[in-house]
Amino acid sequence: MTNTAPKAMVVTGYGLNSEEETAFAFERVGFNTVIRHINDLAENPNELYEIQALSVPGGFSYGDDTGSGNAFAQKMRLTIGDALKEFVSRDTLTLGICNGCQIVVNLGLAPACDGQYGVRQVAVTHNASARYQCRWIDLGVTSHKSPWLEGVVNMHIPVAHGEGRFMMDDATLKTLKDNDQIALRYTKDGKPANGEFPYNPNGSTDDIAGITDESGRVLVLMPHPERGMFTWQRDDFAVLKDQARRLGMPLPEEADGLALFENAARYFGVNAMKKTG
Amino acid sequence: MVQRIEVFTLTEDGRAKTLEDQFKKSGQKVDSVRVVDVYTIEEGIKDAASLDDCLKSFTNPVTQKAFVLEAGQEPANDYMETAGDFDWALEIGYLPGVTDNIGHTASELTALTLGRNKTLYSSRVILLKGTLSEDDVKALAADLHNPLIQRASNKNKAQFTKEGGMDAFIPRVVLDNKGAAIDSVDLNVSDEELITIGKEGIKNEDGTRRGPLGMSLLYMQAVQQHFAKEGRNPTDVELETLAQTWSEHCKHTIFASPIDDIKDGLYKHYIKGATNEIRKARGDDDFCISVFSDNSGGIIFDDNWMITDKVETHNSPSALDPFGGAITGIVGVNRDCLGFGQGAKPVLNRYGFCLADPRKDLEYYRGKNKMNPTLSPDTIMKGVVAGVEAGGNQSGIPTPQGFMYFDDRYVGKPLVFAGTVGVIPREINGKPSHIKSAKNGDRIVMIGGKVGRDGIHGATFSSVALDEGSPATAVQIGDPITQKKFMDAIVKEIRGLGLYNAITDNGAGGLASSVGEMGESSGGFCLALDKVPLKYPGMQPWEIWISESQERMTLSVPAQNIDTLFKLLEKRGVEAWDIGEFNNSGRAVLTWHGDTAMDMSMEFLHDGIPETPLKTTFTRGGEPEPDIAEPSDYAKMLIDMMGRLNICSKEFVAAQYDHNVQGSAVLGPIQGRGRVFADATVSRPVLNSKRAAVLSQGLAPRYSDIDTHHMARAALDTAVRNAIAAGGDIDHLALLDNICWCSSDEPERLGQLKRAMAAIYHLAKTYRTPFISGKDSMFNDFRGYDADNNPVTISVPPTLLISAIGVIEDVAHAVSIDPKAAGDLVYILGETKDELGGSEYYDHLGHLGNNVPEMHDEPNYALYRALTIANKQQLCASAMAVGFGGLGVTLAKKAIASGLGMDISIDSDLRLDKLLFSESQGRIIVTVSPDDQSAFETTMSGLEHVALIGEVTNYNHLYINGIKNDIEALSQSYKSTLGGY
Repeated sequence: MTNTAPKAMVVTGYGLNSEEETAFAFERVGFNTVIRHINDLAENPNELYEIQALSVPGGFSYGDDTGSGNAFAQKMRLTIGDALKEFVSRDTLTLGICNGCQIVVNLGLAPACDGQYGVRQVAVTHNASARYQCRWIDLGVTSHKSPWLEGVVNMHIPVAHGEGRFMMDDATLKTLKDNDQIALRYTKDGKPANGEFPYNPNGSTDDIAGITDESGRVLVLMPHPERGMFTWQRDDFAVLKDQARRLGMPLPEEADGLALFENAARYFGVNAMKKTG
Repeated sequence: MVQRIEVFTLTEDGRAKTLEDQFKKSGQKVDSVRVVDVYTIEEGIKDAASLDDCLKSFTNPVTQKAFVLEAGQEPANDYMETAGDFDWALEIGYLPGVTDNIGHTASELTALTLGRNKTLYSSRVILLKGTLSEDDVKALAADLHNPLIQRASNKNKAQFTKEGGMDAFIPRVVLDNKGAAIDSVDLNVSDEELITIGKEGIKNEDGTRRGPLGMSLLYMQAVQQHFAKEGRNPTDVELETLAQTWSEHCKHTIFASPIDDIKDGLYKHYIKGATNEIRKARGDDDFCISVFSDNSGGIIFDDNWMITDKVETHNSPSALDPFGGAITGIVGVNRDCLGFGQGAKPVLNRYGFCLADPRKDLEYYRGKNKMNPTLSPDTIMKGVVAGVEAGGNQSGIPTPQGFMYFDDRYVGKPLVFAGTVGVIPREINGKPSHIKSAKNGDRIVMIGGKVGRDGIHGATFSSVALDEGSPATAVQIGDPITQKKFMDAIVKEIRGLGLYNAITDNGAGGLASSVGEMGESSGGFCLALDKVPLKYPGMQPWEIWISESQERMTLSVPAQNIDTLFKLLEKRGVEAWDIGEFNNSGRAVLTWHGDTAMDMSMEFLHDGIPETPLKTTFTRGGEPEPDIAEPSDYAKMLIDMMGRLNICSKEFVAAQYDHNVQGSAVLGPIQGRGRVFADATVSRPVLNSKRAAVLSQGLAPRYSDIDTHHMARAALDTAVRNAIAAGGDIDHLALLDNICWCSSDEPERLGQLKRAMAAIYHLAKTYRTPFISGKDSMFNDFRGYDADNNPVTISVPPTLLISAIGVIEDVAHAVSIDPKAAGDLVYILGETKDELGGSEYYDHLGHLGNNVPEMHDEPNYALYRALTIANKQQLCASAMAVGFGGLGVTLAKKAIASGLGMDISIDSDLRLDKLLFSESQGRIIVTVSPDDQSAFETTMSGLEHVALIGEVTNYNHLYINGIKNDIEALSQSYKSTLGGY
């Protein structure tokens, strides 16, 4: 890794649990990556000045007690709230995945319509089935303002959550649509899922799976790109492997989820050729 | 001033909607439901701004609104308006002393926000609208709470309005102890009294008993004699410690005792014996590193990594509180992983449930006259499923592999299996990572949670049959987040620093067990019970010592490292306490505020247990082979078979268990476009290694009704075969045994046990698959009364679960169950014989039969070797072991999984129903691309039973010897039985 590599930080602690695979993804595409416990970050919030990309990964912070993401968001707000607002105001990238999505939304860093960073505008709440769902889903990219999603059209990656249902009032929904902030929607056969289970696994309003802030630099999504970055992770791995073998073709190593991280690396000038492998 | 923070959800709430649907489905006249989250603060927050700050962490302003209620004050004006239209309010909260995870988080958040400690308790109010009498509401409440751990109260709307909501309730523990003290127990008593003490516990001053010690007269006499020699009576702490240490649960006395002519006992002779012989035979190819000596077994993963595995049972607690029992089971076995060597990182969980039919209303009571009913099979199933869900998911450990098995004899004692696989570098700081030992002078450090009365007598209680006297304090609820914090701290940050010499978990028996075991390596210990942190005051010294409060590890730490270790832990929000010293005094010493509470020799503690030679008898079971008519409609018979509980899809469980976290999933629990539940899963636990781990399990409890010898062989063969079919390597496969027996004090049951152990000893040796870890649970019997007040004993069928863990060289060798392309060839490997004794088919027709599946070990081994080679060359497009329901069912599952058809024609002398449903072991169905036919057949050459039986088609039908089945109909039957859960 060269010294000019962009730096990424993945936050952890108190039941967040996907920090290692998320850091693995950042590292793979060329970031210099640190995993930072929230208590250490709280002691030294200035570390946020040294990084370009920040991710709050998936997990079960505080066991989802008092509403998923709520408790960890409160912890971040009280300890590094101002530093975070300052971080997103710069030309940086922020990614909240699953529990991280719930946390970033509860921090009010997305969607932050009208630049109101810090105000909670949407909720990510109990699945319509009130049951945890772990399954693979299809996503369509429905906004192209986010650097994270540049050039991405569809993604086949998994969800694993009990509270992934985006809810908001009609006015907020309209604003999100008007501002082109709805980045990802659940689909069925390439068309909107229209709330149909299991294609839309949680009953989310308008099939929303991910949103951005107005700049697009803050992306939050419930599905897990880091669990679908390699072909061997896919639910249809055995089928793809078999097809490739019959055709005498190599099986592509990388899968849809990695694109997000590659986009982030590219945003900070990492030449695709320089990636570590 | 008590405050109640009540959080109302103003938008549609998935939780409320689901409850509403559940009530409607069960025929309750409920029109609508709302769920209100409640946090009760004993000393309320007076300052309005501070209160407002705290509310932020309990409320989502987008969808929720919070009210703060205080006793004696009118609620806010819009409180009733927000509560809206309802007829009844029902509140469910925890009883004092029960782990309240939500309350714990709420307290922590409040402390964080205010900068000072407050204790909050969680509860939930359910607002019901509908035509309901108070009895109806009480019936609903009975379905929603477990009176062992929770309380329920209700008010109708008029009362609710008049009294300004529900009443505040503070579940604080108030122990009525007249000052905790050490008692001496008089053992200069008659044998009758010794028996009573052993069975019902030490007598309190008021004549009540403290709960079962689970000690036989023989044991009590040994204690009596020992203390007579010492010239004093034992203290209560000493007697409780001996009961705990000598319990079946901890000492596995049945497996250790001489049995018939086997002087070294079943465990040493058969289980450990098989492993020792296999390791020796494998020589340089031995892949075992640490077996039977630690909390998990460890084998080689690759040059750098070791992989560990352990499967536990948590049966008795799950009968009383299924959720608590199961969550404690899974987070408990996670600690067996962390407690391996210097601490392995948990990377996979597995589960297994043996239950009664959840669709049946089976009515049993622990007490006479309909007192103390058992939980319904439906309640137990939902509870255990939810317990593993909460424990596994919250801990961030994928839970891909598991099973459910149904037999109504599990009604009073469900079996709950929980397993955890871990990885650990083979060397840490240049030293083998599996070596650990407490050293003379090390401090005894406890980390994690504090100690309460949770699980008092858990170890002794799980060693006896469940009856009316079963203690409610045996119930615990795990706290996965507290555990996750120290697990991360140890595995991800502290382990490499060399700050401790040994680590072990606090499971059954609590400190008595962990400190007692660790003290064996140093040669003694001295611990101050008054230094052990308590959840609430007033606990007796003996209770502190044997409490099974969860989320605790014990570490052996050189004194000079204490400060560094404690500081690191503190930074991660993990509490730690220095409670004593390991030494080489040869004595096990406990003090209580300076007084001696226990002073026994380590030797007596661990080796004073009297030997109990066991005698066995054995009679083969079974009935004459039934003379059954040939089915008139084969297609319908296959459809019916697909819907049987032991055959149908368990997807509702798999979809709730996160199997993708850590990014390691390769072949998950649900496979193929048609989504079929798989018997083996494959994962890649070390992301930058191409190697994979395959997990599978096998069991066949009903075969025990005929002969446990064949039950045990079927379990082992099934586990191995499932793993090989999924791409496992017969040369890198290890086994774990979980023995769940019944009435193990009866010679006939012991005879069944001995046969089973001898059987797996021989088969494991043929397969060269060593046992690396195991656990037994010997008294899975329920004693109580039926609905007509007749006394009943219900024993589980002798159940052996074999779990397999294997290492696959390259993730590309993994094979899924679903056929991939039309035109592919279908092969059956292995022989089908007239072996339907104990089969699903016979059971479907109401018979047991006699021809239980037997097998030829060597041909099976040759087949698994050949298939290993084929899979390394990727010659199989799909593979699935033939399991319950036989060939017909397995072919149907493969067809459903692929979404393709199959045209099958099998030559056999057997009548078609026997051919289709025989459960002969040693069989695997594979599909092979025509391009690979010759390579595949070459690899299989030399095997006697390899038959090409048909091909995969593009049609939506499965044809077997002319019988046509619509795949959609098969799929529907397969998925509908448990689809509604």
